[in-house]
Amino acid sequence: MIISAPHRFAFLVTVFSCMFLSASVPVQASEESVLPSIAQRFETGVAEETPDFQRHIVPLIGKLGCNGRACHGSFQGRGGFRLSLFGYDFKTDHEELYGRLDTETPSESLILQKALMQIQHEGGQRLKEGSWEHHVMLRWIQSEAPSRAEDAATLQRLDITPSELLFSAADQTQQLRAVAVWSDGVREDVTDLCRFQSNDDQVAEIGQDGIVTSAEPGDTHVVVFYDRAVVPVPVIRPVTDQFGEKYPDVPMPTEVDRLVVEKLRKVGIIQSDLCSDEEFLRRASLDVTGTLPTPAEIREFLADSSEDKRARKIDELLERPGYVAWWTTKLCDFTGNSDDKLNNVTPVRQEASKQWYAWLEKRVRDNVPYDKLIEGIVLAKSRNDGESFREYSESMSSLYHRGGVGAVGYADREGLAHFWSRQNFQSSEDRVIAFAYTFLGTRIQCAQCHKHPFDRWTQDDFQQFEGFFRTTRGRATVQPNTREEYDAMVAGIEGAEGLKGNDLRRVLASALQDGMIVPFPEVYTTRVPAARAGARRRNAVVASPTARPLGGSEVNLSEFEDPRQPLMDWLRSPENPLFAKAFVNRVWAAYFGRGIVQPSDDLNLANPPVNQGLVNYLSSEFIASGFDMKWLHREILNSRTYQLSWIPNSTNRMDEKNFSRSVPRRLPAEVAYDILVQATLNSEKNAAVVSDVSGRAVSIPGSGLRRRANGEAAYAMTVFGRSIRESNCDCDRTDEPSLLQTIFLRNDDQVLAMLDANDGWLREVCRANEIPFSSRSSGGRTGVNSRQLAQLKARYQQQLKKLKQQIQLAEKDGLKGRLPSLRNQLGKLRERAVSAGVVTPTAEEAEALAAAQEAEKANASANVDAETIVREAYLRTLSRNPNDDELAVSVEFINASEDAAEGVRGVLWALVNTREFLVNR
Amino acid sequence: MASFRNCDGMVRRDALKAGVLGFTGLSMAGYSQLQAANGVDPTAKGKSAIFVNLNGGPSHMDTFDLKPDAPSEYRGEFNPIQTCLPGVTISEHLPNIAGCMDKFTLLRGVSHSVAAHALGTKYVNTGNRPLPSLEFPGYGAVITRECATDPELPPFVAIPRSSQRPGYMGVKYAPMDTTSTPTIGQPYRVRGISMAGGVTVSDFERRQSLLSRLDRTFSDVEKDNQLLDGMDEFAQQAHAVISSTRAREAFDIGREDASFAKTFGSSQLGASCLLALRLVESGVRFVTVTNGGWDTHRDNWNALKDRQLPSLDESLAALFNGLAARGLLESTVVYVTGEFGRTPKINTERNGRDHYPRNMFMIMGGGGVRGGQVLGESDEKGAMPKNDGFSPDDVAASFYHAMGIDHTIEYLTPTGRPVMIVREGTVIPELFA
Repeated sequence: MIISAPHRFAFLVTVFSCMFLSASVPVQASEESVLPSIAQRFETGVAEETPDFQRHIVPLIGKLGCNGRACHGSFQGRGGFRLSLFGYDFKTDHEELYGRLDTETPSESLILQKALMQIQHEGGQRLKEGSWEHHVMLRWIQSEAPSRAEDAATLQRLDITPSELLFSAADQTQQLRAVAVWSDGVREDVTDLCRFQSNDDQVAEIGQDGIVTSAEPGDTHVVVFYDRAVVPVPVIRPVTDQFGEKYPDVPMPTEVDRLVVEKLRKVGIIQSDLCSDEEFLRRASLDVTGTLPTPAEIREFLADSSEDKRARKIDELLERPGYVAWWTTKLCDFTGNSDDKLNNVTPVRQEASKQWYAWLEKRVRDNVPYDKLIEGIVLAKSRNDGESFREYSESMSSLYHRGGVGAVGYADREGLAHFWSRQNFQSSEDRVIAFAYTFLGTRIQCAQCHKHPFDRWTQDDFQQFEGFFRTTRGRATVQPNTREEYDAMVAGIEGAEGLKGNDLRRVLASALQDGMIVPFPEVYTTRVPAARAGARRRNAVVASPTARPLGGSEVNLSEFEDPRQPLMDWLRSPENPLFAKAFVNRVWAAYFGRGIVQPSDDLNLANPPVNQGLVNYLSSEFIASGFDMKWLHREILNSRTYQLSWIPNSTNRMDEKNFSRSVPRRLPAEVAYDILVQATLNSEKNAAVVSDVSGRAVSIPGSGLRRRANGEAAYAMTVFGRSIRESNCDCDRTDEPSLLQTIFLRNDDQVLAMLDANDGWLREVCRANEIPFSSRSSGGRTGVNSRQLAQLKARYQQQLKKLKQQIQLAEKDGLKGRLPSLRNQLGKLRERAVSAGVVTPTAEEAEALAAAQEAEKANASANVDAETIVREAYLRTLSRNPNDDELAVSVEFINASEDAAEGVRGVLWALVNTREFLVNR
Repeated sequence: MASFRNCDGMVRRDALKAGVLGFTGLSMAGYSQLQAANGVDPTAKGKSAIFVNLNGGPSHMDTFDLKPDAPSEYRGEFNPIQTCLPGVTISEHLPNIAGCMDKFTLLRGVSHSVAAHALGTKYVNTGNRPLPSLEFPGYGAVITRECATDPELPPFVAIPRSSQRPGYMGVKYAPMDTTSTPTIGQPYRVRGISMAGGVTVSDFERRQSLLSRLDRTFSDVEKDNQLLDGMDEFAQQAHAVISSTRAREAFDIGREDASFAKTFGSSQLGASCLLALRLVESGVRFVTVTNGGWDTHRDNWNALKDRQLPSLDESLAALFNGLAARGLLESTVVYVTGEFGRTPKINTERNGRDHYPRNMFMIMGGGGVRGGQVLGESDEKGAMPKNDGFSPDDVAASFYHAMGIDHTIEYLTPTGRPVMIVREGTVIPELFA
């Protein structure tokens, strides 16, 4: 059935949301009209009716376990008998079963004999003689084992009663009842044919008879599966007796808070207190901008006594370049900006990933509506509207010209065509998987080969979705109608003619360097031809003229210039159940360490949100705001829920998923590295980081194994788990701890060198307090290697020679006035060389040196204002003041250090090595 | 970290902590339990392994699978020489290896169909043909997970870095990259392990004791939180590693006996092999050595005989002989491979050979793998395996077998999908005959 365009989307979305919500919608069916369960109808013997293949037989063999992965659902089958994994391939399943039936003598059918263990069956006895299941199978075979009719009715809803379960103690039980509502009006009790699962059996267990048994306090869902329906049913056993009516009055200043508390009220959990200003500032700065607040900023914020200072700070943070860089990075994660996958897409390596980053960065900076931004990706083609091939090539070439605008210029192009050029985004199957991941937060890959085990998607859904993607050419392609122009342009470049592949790319790259215009291949789409009756298909993959988006209805692609247009229309339609939700959930997850749906890219029916009202509110308001990303950030950040303390109370100590407190979470790889750099930099550079993100890990454009692209941060990015952007999973980024992370922070040369760096805070402190600086890292002077030492020696010899020459000249020219100064310089040079170990000191010199150092040390420790230094160190690392104990311990450490610089270094080292430094809390 | 309960899609667990309010659950168990030994076959002889990755795709036709009787457009410039195995010949530029062929099995006729560097490298480093929707863990990650490890040493070291990533298993199984290559006869310091210039162990201990007094913010809640608890555990492990003299000395090839070190020659590959040997001797479970320069599209024969083969010959022979001399070969599996072979037919335009996965060689020895044999055979032009040949999956399955790991064990990916360690391979029984 093809529905005309205006109604197309509304139709299936209605069906979908009914399915989704049926657990919470009151059942309207009157009891009389419901067919009793087939178990009852066949309990005492073989009934007259013919069991239905789709409604009874397939669910039954699923429930008996026949089509499981370990049994006949295995792709190799078992004992030569193969069923579709998790069902729903009716045709094949029927054929496979039919070949093992004996309709003449039904009881001698192989499938019955095997299942009853009348003959050897590796899978054991699945059926009991004389059971209703046996009767149903037998009757079906007796009736000639009919398959599913071509025009069979479809399942419209699965109604579950009760729609929500509330337990008050352990070991309470409740029977669920499932009624299937079919499009032909039939309502049937199918409880005995459903599969059941508990999402957390520590809270509730569910048997395959549909009886739920309570266990520990907490909340979860039990999920009911039948045909394509997947219905989650919330189960709650409150944690305290403060729930429902007895829930105390708590502040809930925003709609987000109201919705969060609404859930907590049911579970009997009370939120923690509001966090302190220090905590708020650190948390929000790291979350929004990936940057630490500067010590000055902290002092200023703490001194500010105005009521709205947090809201103003949020606005301020959202305007900083750190916000732009961080959310560009996140969007690069979701869209898969990987240098490895873009190899050969541009004539110069890594340019494609830089251009990709620049394209997104501009749109995040301009706060382009999310749906507009995504449209630029979904409908991307290389050429702008109305651009000729020549103009396109000129524009692209200019990005590579020496002294030109560079990769940033790509941001002005209409579409992010590189998205379509990735190596892992070429087959229509790969595109379906990646598209569902990126824009729908959904893992569809299961349905590539079989019915999705936790969601409604079937292989047919997957294949129908592919249609949108078949006619877009993604990799290094020349449009047929520009071939001549392309070849002519190549011919105009010296040495390029006749070359192909890498050889051609090399010549083109160097021509670009010289400022020439070279032709560029392009991403483009062709119109899907209408199906012509009797037209001969050259091969099987000729595009079908129709396609169907996931959960949408069939579209005639040939009506559209670009077959991706109806796909984009479907995405941004307010009724689309996944598009806005996927982004809302990811943004939420970035602020709380877990999504309202968790994992954050796994929106599926069996994995319901922990707070349905909350995700619905944010999604619909996000759409209503015109997909305003900053609206979404503000809405979340200004909630009390975001600003809660991490210190638990007696009710929420074990709660990590209902947003009742701030849960400590490890900083993302880029942020961890960047703040390590920031915390160790001198005051001037520490503050500069806030307004300049260049050179930071958060500005690395692509992902990939190439070290060059990641610069100095490369090793840290690997160890801390920056997203590899390879496998269409938010889990390509990790926030787990590991041994190597800890070793890196404790003892890596790179980190130790940051502590001692010339532009570091330690040097600044030493200078200001007249503490003699001695390096303790391999990058510094004490740890110089032989090559560096040789360089120092050479430099010393040079300076020495120069000075001696000047002295000679001064003596010769009678400029005696200059001599004392020059001799003084000579002495200083010698001193410096001695203390740097460049020359071997005489015994006298060595003695003097030691004495001087001793005196300086004694002098310096007397001068050191350890308390001020420690306070400053706390502000620049943990963004808070030390408590009395911490202050005393740290001051004592500095004072007890023979070498005061090592004392300060030790405190800084310890602070960046605390867990508190590496987590956001 | 997701913990999905199995199978058939019948039951699936909520991610992270067992239930929101799970009062028990994973949090206490910590990360050590996840790393605990998982039913490794204790009778397996392989206890550690060295994986030598020849990046770029070494030409099988000019190294271990010469075809002197093939037509001239295939044959190449090199002549075969006899090895210590009767009737077995290899390239004339590998005389040292020819002398220690009794210590490993040479596999010929290994075959696959992935001709791109990155994907081919992934294939031979994981034993699974790459998929766009899943990143498979490298051997080292699996071994880190399956085998008990020495608390003073990083379990998985890459010299200088490796294509083996932890994939869907997560960063805690990632390799420690040395990021540099040692030089024989020179002291060697490695990031994170060696003490920086000027820092003494007592400085480190002093800082450490300050840290333990300052890192107390979370002391009331740390046991309830998997992240904080895990970080605490790694902090203790890191302390053990950094303050360990054994770990530092293991990395410092400058401490190696000079006459022993000399056999490894002066190449980077040789020094890397020597370091790998020292690490394994100290108790590191898995070491990768990566060596490049094998992508010989142009000037294949000069590149091989002047640059690639002399160091390979010297290094590999020293590695096998050295392991044997130290009594380590029995317990150390050595596995050498590139990502593919090279075209049997010579590219005359460039005097080179191009990517060719249909026929390649691999080497496996030690750890109970039978030495002194050649398994498999390619056709007379070196173009295809004779008979069935082997797949990289088969070799991977055999490698795990040598380490006592059942390659058919299923892991759950973060998306709850059950995946076998090696999905398609079967153990090659003759390797252990």
